[in-house]
Amino acid sequence: MPGTERHTEENLLPNSFGFRYSTNPHVEEEKWERRRLCRSFMKLFAKGAPAQEPARPQILVGSIPASVLASAQAVGLSGENCLFSIRSDMDLRGRPCEVWLVVGHDRMAAFTADRLEVRVLSGPFEWRKASKVRNYQTVGSMFLQLRLDEMYVDVVRFSNGFRESFGRAVVQLQRLLKGEPLNPDALKAPSETRCNVCGLPLPGLRASCPRCAKRRGIFSRTLTLMQPYWLSIFALLSMMLLGVMLDLIPPQLTRYLVDHVLKPESADMLAGNSNGGFQGFLERMVLGSASWTRGDRMGILVVILACLVAASAIRQGVNIFIGRVSSLIGTRITKELRERLHRHLLHLSVDYYNRHSAGNLMSRVLYDVDYFQGFVHQVAHGFLLNLLLVLGIGTVLFFMNTRLAVVVLLPIPFVMVGTTFFWRHIYPRYYRLWDSQSKMAQLLTGFLQGIRLVKAFSQEERERARFSSSAGYMQQARRSVEMSMATFNPIMGFVFGLGGLLIWWAGGEKVLRGLSGEEGGITLGTLMAFFGYMGMFYGPISQLTMFSNWVTGFLSAGQRVFEVLDSSQMLPEEPRPVRLSAMKGAIELRNVTFGYDPYHPILKNVSLTIEPGRFVGIVGKSGSGKTTLVNVICRFYDVQQGSVLLDGVDVRKIATEDLHRHIGLVLQEPFLFRASIAENIAYGRPDAPPSAIMDAAKAANAHDFIARRPNGYDMKLGENGSGLSGGERQRISIARALLCDPRILILDEATSSVDTESELEIQKALMNLCKGRTTLAIAHRLSTLKNADRIFVMDDGRIVEEGTHEELLAREGIYSKLVRIQTELSRLEGGHDG
Amino acid sequence: MMADAQQRTSVPFPGDETLRQTGYRRLTPDNTRIFEGSFSLLHCHVEGGGLYRGVRAVLMFPISHPDRYISLRYTDERDQDQEIGVIEDLLVFPEAVRQAVRESLVRQYYERVIHRIHSIECNYGLLFFDVTTGQGRERFVMQWRHDRAEDYGETGKVLLDSLDNRYIIPDVEKLPAADRRVFVNYIYW
Repeated sequence: MPGTERHTEENLLPNSFGFRYSTNPHVEEEKWERRRLCRSFMKLFAKGAPAQEPARPQILVGSIPASVLASAQAVGLSGENCLFSIRSDMDLRGRPCEVWLVVGHDRMAAFTADRLEVRVLSGPFEWRKASKVRNYQTVGSMFLQLRLDEMYVDVVRFSNGFRESFGRAVVQLQRLLKGEPLNPDALKAPSETRCNVCGLPLPGLRASCPRCAKRRGIFSRTLTLMQPYWLSIFALLSMMLLGVMLDLIPPQLTRYLVDHVLKPESADMLAGNSNGGFQGFLERMVLGSASWTRGDRMGILVVILACLVAASAIRQGVNIFIGRVSSLIGTRITKELRERLHRHLLHLSVDYYNRHSAGNLMSRVLYDVDYFQGFVHQVAHGFLLNLLLVLGIGTVLFFMNTRLAVVVLLPIPFVMVGTTFFWRHIYPRYYRLWDSQSKMAQLLTGFLQGIRLVKAFSQEERERARFSSSAGYMQQARRSVEMSMATFNPIMGFVFGLGGLLIWWAGGEKVLRGLSGEEGGITLGTLMAFFGYMGMFYGPISQLTMFSNWVTGFLSAGQRVFEVLDSSQMLPEEPRPVRLSAMKGAIELRNVTFGYDPYHPILKNVSLTIEPGRFVGIVGKSGSGKTTLVNVICRFYDVQQGSVLLDGVDVRKIATEDLHRHIGLVLQEPFLFRASIAENIAYGRPDAPPSAIMDAAKAANAHDFIARRPNGYDMKLGENGSGLSGGERQRISIARALLCDPRILILDEATSSVDTESELEIQKALMNLCKGRTTLAIAHRLSTLKNADRIFVMDDGRIVEEGTHEELLAREGIYSKLVRIQTELSRLEGGHDG
Repeated sequence: MMADAQQRTSVPFPGDETLRQTGYRRLTPDNTRIFEGSFSLLHCHVEGGGLYRGVRAVLMFPISHPDRYISLRYTDERDQDQEIGVIEDLLVFPEAVRQAVRESLVRQYYERVIHRIHSIECNYGLLFFDVTTGQGRERFVMQWRHDRAEDYGETGKVLLDSLDNRYIIPDVEKLPAADRRVFVNYIYW
């Protein structure tokens, strides 16, 4: 009985998620429950991201969970004859419940642990009688199916979160069906989709866990970007402090001016004798303003004005310094960030680009990065400056007169509450505006790229309507934002204005009290100074309320930028890669299985060998896996099973630059850069001399048409080679491949998109290109492969035929059928032409 | 687009009849017998086409026409998915058939519909959702990436969590205002 087993360290094994588990299911379940309770307890005190439930064991090798043991025994499945049990999260109709598939030596069945009555969900199935077993993907879930009686039968259903464990189970069942032994280690391998430490789902297969890697927030990471400039930033902050102090001076000088210099005194005094020279002047200064003559006052007025001018000049000097330094830092940071993004984009796998539109990535590099310059600006001019001003001026106000300072603060709570409500109201409107802008950009890009199609189908009116609808959406979104702003800003202005009126009321009363000599009065100069400071106080407050707007924009832009930088969809590089300075060009695929979605294989157990220097053709209908085969040979993707070898070395171990240096690729749609013809040909060898470039062009049958251009090889090409015909573009791409002298040449439908005359020219060029190289040619036009040393025929991700043209014709299989169809088509085309 | 599609189906076009001759096979009660066979799987007998066993139903327009244009498919001996034909209107079939086809559709789609969004927390570039779906209160984690939240029809969104499970918001505008505000704070595209 499982419950009576002894539990030693030996029978505690790591399960598929890295937890150690007992071969005794009772102990295992108990431990899981304990861990879950512990995690729930910790959650009460945890801050930050919600804690993840610990990953519960999904596969038990050689045992049946206690919850379904009785049901399993009832259908003849027991602990002794159980190979493994695997957990699912739903029944066949998709209702959530705990389900266990128990696989015995001869039979399997699915049981629910949740229901008391009907516990057998499906089966038992005599699975050894099945011809095949597979996982079948539907929308949002999968089925493990057995092929029984010439049809696939659903055994158990599971959500996509269980794909990894069922993927492993199916591999083992396939092995068992072939008569191979069960590999328990493969079932127990650590998860590649969840973190084995914290259980958090990983951003990609085998990617590092963002939680355990302690990835920081956007602000914190932006500050890290600024680290190299800490000296400049320190200088900026110092200047900013100086600026704030300078801003505090003018109102104080004004106050002195009003209270002491421009103060009305008796006419006698103003007309008094100002003799006595400088000493006399100093004496009168000590005696106070009452003894000042008109001349004295004029002198002081000039001095104060000079101080005001100096303060203003220094302030502007400080502003110039802050502006220039912040611009220097800001532009450097954005340049570096753009370069980092570009570098990262260069190293991302092809798969990443399949998932993201070019326009979307462009806008991140071009526009979102600009927000980081805004960050520096905010540090220098915005948030910090305003905060310092509010603190500095607030302190001065309280020093000058506490009661008046409180009156100045009265509107602030209303402003804060109003702003909070306002931003709640306007956030969704802002997001809609950004969404509308993005959608319009996408619409325009599509329209401009497909303009010929629009004209060919006479859909100008429809496009006009679509654009009008998009423009209308954008107009609505913008109007909504601007109308909200147009309402909010005057209201806030009114609230601030009320603050000013309150100061007039309270301050005026105090001035009058001061004039009549009562206690608690203030001078007119103090009131004037208060007004001066009040303007300087409300301005930054108003700016600070708008800060959240900027933060929202910055956070979303920062998220888009860091999203690219954090993308881990890069192919792993060996720490010590194999360097291949020379290559013979042997290609071998050993039992390769690969799918762009790992759970949907495109290539299924493909094996082939190509000797160096051979010309090999790959044929097959669309979707049969031809281009995928090329993609794995070039290592644009890593295979999920098996290996691809070049000269006997696994491509995953070869240094990427060596690998790509030895492989030349000519695609159906040649890509040319916005550069001269010469630069395009020399793209893979920028140091190639003009003579080599011309030789390559000559061999590619491109030299003559280039020579006819007014600017010859210096002709600048437009976007994607505009200005050249399709055939011409293709010949330039062939010249580009020739110049690099690759040992392996891959031609992916190189002639299928050009006219017959161009095809002839290109075929001649290709004959030159293929000499002495291993050539892999994918072609729909089978006539181009007649002279191939070997032809592989692909169907549904497998190589189904192999041989020379004659051998394959004689076999009367798929190839001969394809040849017959093409011959018939050519005859029909010939008939029409005739 | 939806209006366009409806327009395409309602306005007769001179070439439609020609296209129909080489188009998909229409499955009607007159030419098709659908029934539940061995292993409780859907079986389908088509006049002139023979018997197909282990048949699956797939919606061709799951968002714009969720009740119509149902493709019946099977896996052939080479493991390739093949179409038997398309039921344009399930309502013209007897009730038992309708039940059987709907049962098959239940197996084909597993999408949780979000009714409420209680909170979204952003940490480590991941969004931690706390929602109420048709199955009750749930939590899931998704990467904060544009390709993980796609459009679903004109106004909806489909969210793919980190394990590729699908969560549908049929119409973002119909979420309660507070929930919508939380949602568009993060999923604004």
